Amino acid sequence: MRGVRGLFLGLSALALAGCATGPASPEALAANDPYEQANRDMLKFNGKIDKYVVIPTVGLYFILVPEGGRRGVHNFLGNLSLPTIFVNDMLQGELSRAGKSMWRLTINSTIGLGGFFDPASKIGVSGHGEDFGQTLAVWGVKEGPYLVLPFLGPSNPRDAAGLMVDAAMDPTNQIPLKQHIWWSAGREYFTLLDLRAQTYQTIQGIQRSSVDYYSSLRSLYRQLRNEQIRNGRKQGQDLPDF
Amino acid sequence: MRPPFSLPRRALLLATLSAPALLTAGPAAAAANVAESFVDENIHKGLDILRDKKLSITQRRDQFETLLLGLVDVRRIGLFTLGQYRRTAPPEDVEAFLNAFKNYATAAYQSYFARYTNQTLKVTGSTQRSPTDFIVQTQLIDPSSSQQPSEVDFRVRTDTGKPVLVDVAYQGIWLSLEERDQFVAFLGQNNGNVRTLIAHLSELAVNLGKPTQ
Repeated sequence: MRGVRGLFLGLSALALAGCATGPASPEALAANDPYEQANRDMLKFNGKIDKYVVIPTVGLYFILVPEGGRRGVHNFLGNLSLPTIFVNDMLQGELSRAGKSMWRLTINSTIGLGGFFDPASKIGVSGHGEDFGQTLAVWGVKEGPYLVLPFLGPSNPRDAAGLMVDAAMDPTNQIPLKQHIWWSAGREYFTLLDLRAQTYQTIQGIQRSSVDYYSSLRSLYRQLRNEQIRNGRKQGQDLPDF
Repeated sequence: MRPPFSLPRRALLLATLSAPALLTAGPAAAAANVAESFVDENIHKGLDILRDKKLSITQRRDQFETLLLGLVDVRRIGLFTLGQYRRTAPPEDVEAFLNAFKNYATAAYQSYFARYTNQTLKVTGSTQRSPTDFIVQTQLIDPSSSQQPSEVDFRVRTDTGKPVLVDVAYQGIWLSLEERDQFVAFLGQNNGNVRTLIAHLSELAVNLGKPTQ
């Protein structure tokens, strides 16, 4: 979504090239995960960053910032993403959803004091996510093999390319700030903090109940992305027979 | 001038033409209602057990397990989650796996549902995938939150006439699919040894039964 992500994506390409191992197992190939060993190594690396850097900061964030403040940060970050969501809604031909995104941006940027408050939801203009990875999927682009990106986690070539396009179309990246890298890194950091604070219990639950945490995440990521691409529509849901 | 019998004849013709549609739509709609009622009644029963503060931890676990095993087709789900290893594993290992899976699934379901005891569940409709395969859509509403309700779907099969639950999805993520992906990957990493999976599942079932820190 933002400039710093381009750096992460470049790093991930290098990491994958560096971690190239022997031939993939039949199970890995069947799961469309030919870089499984490199991906597992990357998940371990991300886990260490999470354990030693992110989680302690999330703890501090909970202690120092009250719930109302954390909600404000969450709303503000969500509001910053709305122009990108709007463009992707339009590119997917979802005019009604695009209208909602524009409404939310207008209401929350003004009455919501720059997006720190979310009066739009209170009057029934609820939010939704959208990104260029989903737009590519709607246009018929296949996801490609599963990837675990450094710092960013589960992905695939389509979604990784989508991140770069989203970063390019984000209006805040066009602001000619002298210290733009600090804005970009700060926003990225708070996005990570906010996301981790919101998903702390869920991820703990998955770790606790998983037989294989890596393949659990892979399955959850793919199912979640398919649900997001369908925009929650039940029709077309491809389920196996039991 | 119209003959006096025009209206009854038209009505008869309409009734004759629409009869096959009515005959097929009738049982389908009734079956969908059965699936919806099944979910509505039993999920509330399950949440009531988990909410009941008068029960001890053991009583709550036992009552929930009894209810769950009466509702869920654990054998069908267990065989599905083994993927291709169902065909290659020795039959005695498959049976031992199904027993371990039953204990794991009960503990896992209890752990998932225990997170939502302060919320209410509302059936919003259902989709028929085949004459005996239904997806019942529900919304999980948190009265203390202004957030949108979460969507929870239940997959119900009625092959034997009696409805049984075979899968549950939270916000579009199906639990049995995720379990199959995990188990198959785990077996792939462990030379297809189902006994290793059984040992791991048994350990997880014990850990999931312990209170969270």
